[in-house]
Order: sequence, then C-alpha cells, then structure tokens
Amino acid sequence: MSARYLALRLAQVVFVAFGVTVATFGLLHLVPGNPARTLLGVHATAGEVAYLSREWGLTKPLPVQYADYVGRLLHGDLGTSVYYQAPVAGLIGHALPVTLSMLALGAAFGIAASVPLALLAATRPGRPADHVIRAVPMAGLGMPPFWVGFILLIVFALGLHLLPAGGYGSTPAGHLESLILPGLTVAAVTTPILVRSLRLALIEVLGSEFVAAATARGLSRARVLLRHALRSTAVPAVSVLAVNLGYLLGGTVVIENVFGLPGVGNLLLTGILNRDFDVVQSVTLVYALLVVLINLGADLAYAALDPRVVLGR
Amino acid sequence: MRNRTTASAAAAALLVSGLAAGCGGGTGGAAAAAGGTPVRGGNLVIDIATPQQDFDVNTTSDNESIWTLDQVAQTLYANGPDGKSLRPELATGYTLSPDKLTWTFRLRHGVRFSSGATMTSKDVVFSLDQALNPKSIWNFIDAPISSVTAAGPYAVVITTRTPWAPLLADLALFANAIFPDNFGGESRAQFFQHPVGTGPFEIASWTRGQSLKLVRNPYYWQPGKPYLDSVSYDAVSDANTRVVQLQGGQAQIIETAPFARLASLKAAGFQLGLFPSTRIDYVTMNELDKPLRDPRVRLAISEALDTKQIMQAVFFGYGQAADSPFMPTVSYYAPVGLHTGNLALARKDLAASSYPHGGFSIDFIAGSGDPVQTAVAQIVQAELKPLDITVNIRQMDPAQVTVEEQSFHFGMRETYWTMDIIDPDEYVSFVLDGTAGAYANWTHFDDPVIDRLTRQAEATFDPATRQAIYTQIQQRAAADAPIVWLGYSPYDYVYASSVHGFRVYPEGNAHLEDVWLSR
Repeated sequence: MSARYLALRLAQVVFVAFGVTVATFGLLHLVPGNPARTLLGVHATAGEVAYLSREWGLTKPLPVQYADYVGRLLHGDLGTSVYYQAPVAGLIGHALPVTLSMLALGAAFGIAASVPLALLAATRPGRPADHVIRAVPMAGLGMPPFWVGFILLIVFALGLHLLPAGGYGSTPAGHLESLILPGLTVAAVTTPILVRSLRLALIEVLGSEFVAAATARGLSRARVLLRHALRSTAVPAVSVLAVNLGYLLGGTVVIENVFGLPGVGNLLLTGILNRDFDVVQSVTLVYALLVVLINLGADLAYAALDPRVVLGR
Repeated sequence: MRNRTTASAAAAALLVSGLAAGCGGGTGGAAAAAGGTPVRGGNLVIDIATPQQDFDVNTTSDNESIWTLDQVAQTLYANGPDGKSLRPELATGYTLSPDKLTWTFRLRHGVRFSSGATMTSKDVVFSLDQALNPKSIWNFIDAPISSVTAAGPYAVVITTRTPWAPLLADLALFANAIFPDNFGGESRAQFFQHPVGTGPFEIASWTRGQSLKLVRNPYYWQPGKPYLDSVSYDAVSDANTRVVQLQGGQAQIIETAPFARLASLKAAGFQLGLFPSTRIDYVTMNELDKPLRDPRVRLAISEALDTKQIMQAVFFGYGQAADSPFMPTVSYYAPVGLHTGNLALARKDLAASSYPHGGFSIDFIAGSGDPVQTAVAQIVQAELKPLDITVNIRQMDPAQVTVEEQSFHFGMRETYWTMDIIDPDEYVSFVLDGTAGAYANWTHFDDPVIDRLTRQAEATFDPATRQAIYTQIQQRAAADAPIVWLGYSPYDYVYASSVHGFRVYPEGNAHLEDVWLSR
C-alpha cells in the first residue's frame, strides 16, 4: 500500500463528506416544517415563532445558511440541537459508541457463526449438512430485523432470563450484556450472506492446486483448511462484511428502537421527527463517513490478508 | 401536538379558601391508601416514551421534562389529586385584599433547596420575576400579574392588574416553580442543566436522549419522604419494548403501553393504572372554508359522527365519548349533552343549512404515522358520505400539519388538549375565545358572547357564579359546534406489583415522593 493511495482514499472521504452536506442540507430544507414551531409548541404566537426563526438564522437565504453550516463544520462545530438545547457533538459523542459497539459485536458474532458453518458446508458439498447450512441462515435473511429482535428478547430475556430485556445498562458490564441481543440481531442479517460467500470461495479454493499440494506435503486437514484455504477466502468475506455493515448502519434505527438502545439511530429518528436540522445533518455526515471508513478499512484488510494485493496499483 | 393547558382558579381559590387561614397543606396519604407500611429505599425505573428535552421553565413545553421537573421543583400552590382542587405547597396560605388585586402569601418555614439553602421570599420573588420574562413561552399565564414583592423573609405580595380569579391555579403551573435566588450564582443555562429545587428529588445525572437519574433530596421538607432512594427514567420509544422491559423486570413502571395489550398484562399480574386524564380529543373545523362557516353545516357534521364508536375504535375500548366541550376532570364541567351519532338529526340540520343537499368537499389533514389522526380521518370520511359530503384526507408530515393548520390551509383536523392547571380559563381562551391569539384553536370561530363570558369568569371569584358562566359557555359551544368534541381517554400506565402509592393526577404529573417499593 502506498502513501499516495491512502491520501487519495482520504481525499475521497472529503468529497463524500461535501456531497453529503449538500444533499442533507438541501433535502432537509425542502421538507416542510419549522423547528422553531416544533420547539415552541402550540401556545407560541406567529411573532414568537418568527423571532426564534430569526435567532436561529432560519430566515436567511439558503446558500447563506449552508455557508454558515459548512463554516461551523470546518471549525469542528456540529451545531446545537434545538430539541435538546445541547451541542450536537456531545449528543453524538454519547450515542456513537453505543451504535459502533453494537455493530462490532454483530460483526464478531457474524464471523464466529459464519466461519465454522461455511467450513462445514464447504467440506461436505451437496450433503445434508450443506443443504441445511445454506437453507437455515437464508430464513434469517428473510426475517425483518425488528421481528428477529423481538423473538430474541422473548426467548433470551423473558423466557430464559439470561440477558436484559433491552436498555443499555449502567456499567461497562451492563452495556456489554445489553448489546448481546442487538449484536445477535445484526448477525442474523449478516451471517447468511457471509456463510454463502465463504462457502463458495472455500469450495473453489479447496479444489485449487495449492491446497492439493499442501495436502500432498502431508499437512493435516485442519491445517490446510484453517491456515491456507480459509485465509484465501477471507478477502471476499471481508468485502461482503464491509458492504453489509455499511448497509446495516441505516438499519440501526430499527434495531436500536426495538432494544431501546440510545444510539445514533435513535438520535437520528428524534432529530427527523422534530426538524432538528443540526442533529440530522451531523448524524448523516457521521454515517456517510463511517461507511467510507469501513470500506477503506476493508481495503486495508485485503492487503493484510493477501500479500498479493498491493493497494494503489 | 400535545396541547397543554392550565385552568384556574377562582374555584380553586375557593376550594382552598379554608387554607387561607394558614393551615398547612401537606401531601401524603397516597402511600397509606395503597395499603401496607411504606418501605424506605430502592431505585424505581420508569420507562418513558420520549426523553426529557429541556428543563428551562421559560422554554420547555414537553411533558416528560415538565413531569420530571415536578419531582425536583415545587410551586406555591399545587394541583390536588382530583384535578379540580389546589393545596398549599411552598405557601401555607394567603390573604386577598378587598379590591381583589393584592394577594399576600405566607411562605412555609423550614423549606430547604436540595443544595441545603433555606427558601425565603427572595427566592420566590426572583423565580416569579423569571417566569414573567417576556421571552418565556409561558408568560401569558402570568400576564395579569403586575408585580411580585417580598414583605419580609416569609411573605410575598403579588399584585394583579385586574381581579384575577385563576391566580392560584396559575401559580401551580410548573413554570412558576421556585428556584434559588439568582440561580445560586450560576448562569441560567448552567442552572437548568441540573436545576435545584425544593422537591423530593434532585437530579443526579442526565444523559440527553437516553436516561436521567433522580436521587433523594436530603433536605426535603416533608418528614420521612420520599421513600425511594432514587428514580431512573429510561427513554424507550418503542411501546412493545417498554412492555418487554416491564415483563423482564428491568422497569417497574411503563407509560403509554399499547391499549391492545393491557388486558393480557393485567392477567399476567401487573397493575394497570388507567388514571383519569384531562385529555379531550376533538376535530376542529376551519370556518374560512365556506361550507364550514355555516353553523348548521357544522352541527350536521357533528351530529353525523358517531363519537362513541370513534372513541371505542381509536382507544381500543378505553375511550369515552364526550358529553360536553369540557372534560369531567376539569372544574366547572357540565354534561350539557352533544347530539352525536344521529344521522336523521344531521340530515335535518343539513337540510336547513346553506348546503341542504351537501355536495361539497372538505380537506382533512392528518399526520402520517399518527394512528389516532389517521383512524379518525378515515371514520369521518366514511360517516359523512351519507350526507354527500366528500372528505379528502391529506396525510402529511406531523410538523407540516401544524403549519397547514395555522395557515388555515385545511378544512378539518383531529387534535387533543390536556390541562396544566386546574382552571378552565386557559382552555377556553385557547379553544373557544375568538379574540385570543389562537383564533379559537385555529378555527376562526368567534362568538362575542363566549368571549365576554370568558372575561367575566376570569374576574369572578364566586364558584357558583363561575359554574353558571362556564355552563353557559359549554352550552353555547355545543350549540354552535365550532369543533366536534370526540371524547376522553385515560393515561395508561402499567406497573409491577411491587410498586405502591403510584398515582397520576389528571394533569399528568405524579407525586413520586408517595411511591415505595416492596421487597
């Protein structure tokens, strides 16, 4: 990987960020609804709404408002939530770790489930185990995340009393405990695709010459599978996982809602409902940056996993 | 929209007149009434539907913030559990001058803020001056007040511009809560991050959008209270998740459980708290829409709608059809009778109107995703068909509904009102008074007689006279039908069997100092 490549990819991040600011700002201001009216409630007179709108700069021309917004962003100021009367950076600072932890745990669960299942299926192609492993996770893919979430809550929290029924706990251990079921919900979405892509790649690799050569050199089956075959298949799997995690970021709104998790998804939802412009713009920007960074991370992982991959060429 | 209102108080003034002699108020009783000996200690977890937004009493209007603030800060007078009475809280009584313009309040001795400082008249004068701030969205409540001055460390004199019967009820509004003088040396913004008051609890921690924890105020003035060590509010927006958390034991109280699940939760051993509320749902009619300008047309519409069926359908059997423009939980309510669900009568009134055969259409605006507004719009559409009135439902973003309403770009809409104070004055001023700023809830209805009666009630202190005035207002409103009053619904809470003494007052606040947890 060259430094030039990294610089180019980071420059892309800036372009994406710029595009996202234009799109979210434009779309938000196209949608009807005045945050001043929302905040002031029904008792406020038109004069009071107009006064607050002026105070917040909502009466300025849109290009001027956009320039103000970008100017603030460049100074690291994400604005102030009109709903919570608090700096947006602080709100995101509290909410983002929740969402990222949930996604990370979901990815870990997804990988932990996919690797053994794919290995089992790929080493027994066409046999009953293979059919079951291909079919069952697909059922998970067909189920909406909110439904999966509720089933998990009913079984593990209400039925078996093993885990908390939603919420986020109040200690680090409590946080982790509370994230297990949301993480499993995330995994339910990612695992089917991961299993299928890993299985296909493994079948292909297991039929390749280098695997035959390794086996001929007397290496154990386990070593051939885990050390050689699996590593080769990791590259496409990382790509699939990255794409899915990016997709799942948009789905965090639903999963966080089901589990009562105070993450950025919930923050975004409240922001949209209350025309909290700064919150919506900033959370969208953070989402976009995360998607770009996750994909950049995947690219970097390719190079680490496969020495043949040289980024930037 | 959560229309929040207050109501007043001449009646209130009279209901508490016995206290004017200085007898102490005191809450209490609720825990004892709940059965068993209260146990001290424990953390109560309440799942709320939306997080607290802002505690600045000049700017906040969301119920969660207001109801939380009620645990932290107190007022000179407080609403009683029936929604119609008042009791002294930080005051012990008052005297009213013969010209009914000067109210002298005696303050309770030995009251301390959670900071440890003693409450005196300086704090009261400072706090009420803050409430009178022209920038406060609630200052219209205190508009009749011309001055607030101290008369010694434990007496405060409030002067009104005109005789103002609702004053005691107005003073019970959360926006008139008492805080330390000069915010204890902090800036306004700093102070309202963690407001300090004389209430049973103080704020220990607050993560915006997530959770808030209250702990016992060690200096609380009511001996032995609160029973709880702490109260945790968790914001859980999904109603089904709140139910799961209750079932899983993570929360002891949940608010706004789905009505459809109440029966099964009760069967599972949970307590149902269907507390009478001051909520009244209604459909407004914009009189700038030509057909709706005709009172006969409005009356026909009102008569054609089966409000009993609507309330049953929308609130899953927990709603009750209105029989008055007022709610039974509000002072001076009179069941004047509303002739709804009578198609024959509706046809007769329409025949006598300027549109004898119908043949016109009305735009009904409804917030997309709002189950009540959407359901009501659909039922209204179906029930007005026999009158040959076409109802076009325009669904839009909830925030846009308010914009369309206040620009008068609509024909009908469904909304509701809840009270903040016990006197009906604010409700009548907002919903029926055509001379007030809200154009009679954005209907452009204006009945000069109702306007005059409203002013008269504000200056009348005799409860019997006020009852007569408000009964007349209710009768005229029912006859002119500027609004279709649909009905009443309770606050619904579900809570664990270990929770005792929990009660929600009609205005929506609960006195958590009375609540205790059995082990």
